Amino acid sequence: MNTATSAAAVLSGVKRFVGGQELEQHRQALIDRTDPNAPRILVCCGTGCKAVGSLDLLETMQNSVAASGAAIKVMPEVKRTGCHGFCSRGPLLTLQPEGLFYQRVKPEDAEEIVKQTVIGGELVKRLLYKPQGAKESIAKVGDIPFFAKQTKLVLKRVGRIDPFDINDSLVHGAYKALNKVLNEMSPDQVIEEIKNSKLRGRGGAGFPTGLKWESCSRQPGRHYVICNGDEGDPGAFMDASVMEGDPHAVLEGMAIAAYAMGSDRGFLYVRMEYPLAVQTLTRAIRQAEELGLIGDNILGTGFKFKVSVSTGAGAFVCGESSALMSSLEGKVGRPRPKYIRSTEKGFRDSPSNLNNVETYANVPEIILRGGAWYTGYGTERSAGTKVFSLTGNVHNVGLVEVPMGTSLREIVYGIGGGIPNKKELKAVQTGGPSGGCIPIPKKFLDINVGFGKLAEIGSMMGSGGMIVMDENICMVEVSRYFINFLVEESCGQCTPCREGLTRMKDILTRLTLGEGREGDVELLEEIGKFTNSFSLCGLGTSAANPVLSTIKYFREEYDAHIRDKKCPAGVCKPLYYYEIDPEKCTGCGLCRAKCPAKAVAGEKKKPHTIDQELCIKCMECYKNCKFDSIKIM
Amino acid sequence: MKIILDGKEVTAEAGRTILEVARQNGVDIPTLCHVPALEPAAMCRLCTVELIENRRARMVTACNYPLRGDAEVRTDTPFLRQGRKLIIELLYSRCPDSTVLKELAARYGAELGRFPEDNKDCVMCGLCARVCERVGGNVLALCGRGVEIRVDTSFGRTARHCIGCGACARICPVNKIQIGDEGAERTVIIYGKEASRIPLRPCTSCGKPFGPVIDLSLIMERAGETKVPAFNLSVCPACSRRNHARRLAERHFEQYEIEPRETGEDD
Repeated sequence: MNTATSAAAVLSGVKRFVGGQELEQHRQALIDRTDPNAPRILVCCGTGCKAVGSLDLLETMQNSVAASGAAIKVMPEVKRTGCHGFCSRGPLLTLQPEGLFYQRVKPEDAEEIVKQTVIGGELVKRLLYKPQGAKESIAKVGDIPFFAKQTKLVLKRVGRIDPFDINDSLVHGAYKALNKVLNEMSPDQVIEEIKNSKLRGRGGAGFPTGLKWESCSRQPGRHYVICNGDEGDPGAFMDASVMEGDPHAVLEGMAIAAYAMGSDRGFLYVRMEYPLAVQTLTRAIRQAEELGLIGDNILGTGFKFKVSVSTGAGAFVCGESSALMSSLEGKVGRPRPKYIRSTEKGFRDSPSNLNNVETYANVPEIILRGGAWYTGYGTERSAGTKVFSLTGNVHNVGLVEVPMGTSLREIVYGIGGGIPNKKELKAVQTGGPSGGCIPIPKKFLDINVGFGKLAEIGSMMGSGGMIVMDENICMVEVSRYFINFLVEESCGQCTPCREGLTRMKDILTRLTLGEGREGDVELLEEIGKFTNSFSLCGLGTSAANPVLSTIKYFREEYDAHIRDKKCPAGVCKPLYYYEIDPEKCTGCGLCRAKCPAKAVAGEKKKPHTIDQELCIKCMECYKNCKFDSIKIM
Repeated sequence: MKIILDGKEVTAEAGRTILEVARQNGVDIPTLCHVPALEPAAMCRLCTVELIENRRARMVTACNYPLRGDAEVRTDTPFLRQGRKLIIELLYSRCPDSTVLKELAARYGAELGRFPEDNKDCVMCGLCARVCERVGGNVLALCGRGVEIRVDTSFGRTARHCIGCGACARICPVNKIQIGDEGAERTVIIYGKEASRIPLRPCTSCGKPFGPVIDLSLIMERAGETKVPAFNLSVCPACSRRNHARRLAERHFEQYEIEPRETGEDD
């Protein structure tokens, strides 16, 4: 029924590839069997869509297609894929080859889609995407700004292939680069190519990948290749989507790295909270091993590379390289107090190369197309593309890949579709809990997102989390949230991080409760400054960034909390109340109906009032008022 | 290898830590979690200094930074003094009755009581855990994470494999670990909680319990020794002294053929 079975037929003849030619012959056979114009229904089964029921949709879709088999001219293949990226609109469904895009599809819509679209060739209008404020719906993926404005290099195959079927990856070019590397390139040439590409680590620090590989390869002893899939930043899901949607890209990148550095052993350290990623990667490794693409004697060249998946135990700090390696060794995941690069002495005191998921996923394409091609994307200092997870108060929440140097305006408004509910954009938080809040629209909307630029303004690129905040977000509460997160996730070894963050949390909590004192901001700055310079690891030395950047750009909000005991954004409950503007209130009664505490009173068509004693500040009246008459005081 | 240490040029052996070089040259850097016999853990961060290597300045901890080439080290800048002051103040709130911290506070002008007291009876230097791993029975470890980090035994249970060496109590800079011998048992108390309880061996001479049953193989393994050390662990120190005295006396009496007088009592 689908290529999994037809490919199984092809597979049955193949045990292990003993040469590059065999792989290419197999690939060609698979491509020949696949008609690019055959109808396919791609159901997004990334974690986001799965959470809203896409697995049920997949099943009913398969059943509906099977049930109406006789009526369909060409049987479409119903395919399970990784993340399509447009997560706020899930469950998502794409119909190929036309490229029709249906959003928020429920299992009960399956039959209608089969009848109307697959058989009848008509669109199901209510499932089409309609941009905010637009009159017309958009039917095709390519016409939707969210997709059209992206440049997909890393996510090229994510959402198009079935991550559980290696043959589908092979059809789309997987392991071509590994074949090229093993048969045509020397390890030094591989490193040279990566250096030429100016690829920088996508985990956050932005260290040039080529240089890292080179310094690791020059060390004596057994080498290890490790992939950091311990993505823990709140609101970030880039690496998860790559691992879940295109596991072979990561494996291929790691194998190429292993070849370049003379390694025979690799580890994928994936956080336990990503069960789907662990599942896809484990399956992918097994399938690649069966075909001789990973393991002993890869493609008959004698090159050996064994990979296994290791799961974390729920600690954010294990994303830090030395803590990750401790954890991988079976020890407590705490950063090591050693001034030595892991490329010299890392995992088991051997030279170890640690890169992020996205970094490895970039490698195969660079090898195939050359470093110079890669530098064609992005900026002088930050080459290539970057995947961001765009979340927060933005219309189009999802996974976004853009060339480095794209402006925040383009990401937030062009791709993200702007801010919902006619709100003003206030800030963009980048780089996770170690990053900073960039104030917008003050001056930075046109800043080009890249490694250097973000650091200049007190934030960082981090691994690519991007949280959009509107005017109803309180910056003091935001820093309290991040510091609270870090207090819980700090390993607790060193004084500044453990004690400093705890004190900062106490002060920030005090501020949000309206118990702030004069001098609190100065104290926060003092603790923040020293935590950032005296801490042991990367977590501690960047932990104060959310506080320091919000104080730098939103000082007036801190002052309002301390001096006026007011929360201008209307978030810190003890510090504001709602009031109805009698001039604007039309007495429609909507707020009275919506109020769960029965705190709103008033006669019809006359201005209403709020009983402050009863009000629980749930924001229902504020959100629902059509006349903008409810004010945060 | 030439190092500029607080403006003065000194020579240093490659691989030595900044702390070692500073101490050799009479420059004092405060430490709390460091003893030379144990591997540095760089936890307290008090010994943070400014290092300038290849015209790049950064903060490093002196206890574990090995000098590899020419460099400049500053140990006493206003920024460092301020940072140390803050660390002392933060630690003081964890353990307000510590003499060591009070002394450090006086030296660095720390304002004690700047942060509300949160008496945890511990400065979290990790020395007890490290010395226990190296010298003792590997009973104590740093457990929990973040603010909840604490010194504890496996699963918080009273440990039976403690060798009762007492190294943890001796090394604790704030004297918060107690060793108690009561009856035929020795206990180690941390944070008021019993960390270990082990039997004491009775003296073969007087019968009173006197010391822990020490597994010699463990010590020998760590010391890399194959020969059993020549000391008798079956007799308590008091009996050992008395027996020795008696042997001397007996030899003396024998020599001069003196008949010892019966006293009836052993002592």
